[in-house]
Amino acid sequence: MNGRLGNRLIVVWLALCAITLAQLAVGARSGPAPEGAIAAIVIGIALIKARIIFREFMEVRHAPVLLRRLTDLWIVLTGAILLGGHLAGLAVAGS
Amino acid sequence: MTDAAIPRPRANVAREAGRFVPGQPDMWAFVLFEAFVFTAYFAVYVFSRARSHELFVASQAHLDLRVGVLNTLVLLTSSWLVARCVRAARAGSYRAATANALATVVAGLVFLVSKVLEWKAEIGRGFTFTSDEFFSFYYFLTAIHFLHLLIGFGALAIAIRELRSPARRSQVTVETCATYWHTIDFLWVLIFALLYVLR
Repeated sequence: MNGRLGNRLIVVWLALCAITLAQLAVGARSGPAPEGAIAAIVIGIALIKARIIFREFMEVRHAPVLLRRLTDLWIVLTGAILLGGHLAGLAVAGS
Repeated sequence: MTDAAIPRPRANVAREAGRFVPGQPDMWAFVLFEAFVFTAYFAVYVFSRARSHELFVASQAHLDLRVGVLNTLVLLTSSWLVARCVRAARAGSYRAATANALATVVAGLVFLVSKVLEWKAEIGRGFTFTSDEFFSFYYFLTAIHFLHLLIGFGALAIAIRELRSPARRSQVTVETCATYWHTIDFLWVLIFALLYVLR
């Protein structure tokens, strides 16, 4: 295997593991009340990890523009839908 | 460990320059479809969770966060290994590629065993699919992901079969199988965040 590419994969793998641990620290900061900001950060970090997996491990970085746009669209839409679902749930609970 | 004496299939060489879709485009259509289906599951989960926050947090406390972290690190590692497999196969290092694919199988088995043990422990403590809304989501999401994992072993078996025979060795097939395996990983990354981390 090409050494430079192998090194890049190691860096990506270590970064994903490190981000996972950082995500735990953020999640642990939540208080007893449902906090929109913490939820958004935890979900946001998960989507960043998914995007790194797409771009680096799944080689979307080198893919045609359509595939890059479609994977990014999934990231953005999922983020928006999950945040919307969270806020809608809070609104229903509060009403 | 380049198998220099064995000629590489034509398709492998033709795709080396420029932008390319890794694996078969059909697999990408399937992956994106699956991703959106899971987005729908996740949306229902976050809505229900925000609506019944106290119940979800109380039930979630019965999950072992360490198992979730182990699962995540193991699947991230498996994704790294299968990415190494694809790169090695592309470089013609088929023995290294096979070794990485086999290591991916091992990582997948570690995930499989830890998930089964986790279910066993939760059921042993009386938390089943019908216990409450959180556990219904927990079993549904982890089980449907588990099903994808089982199919993933089939994908890895196909990749290993390709890599082991000089006559077969299709880089496209190996990449297609790898793309499927990565899907198991990135979907788990979301499930882990929602079930284990989100408070």
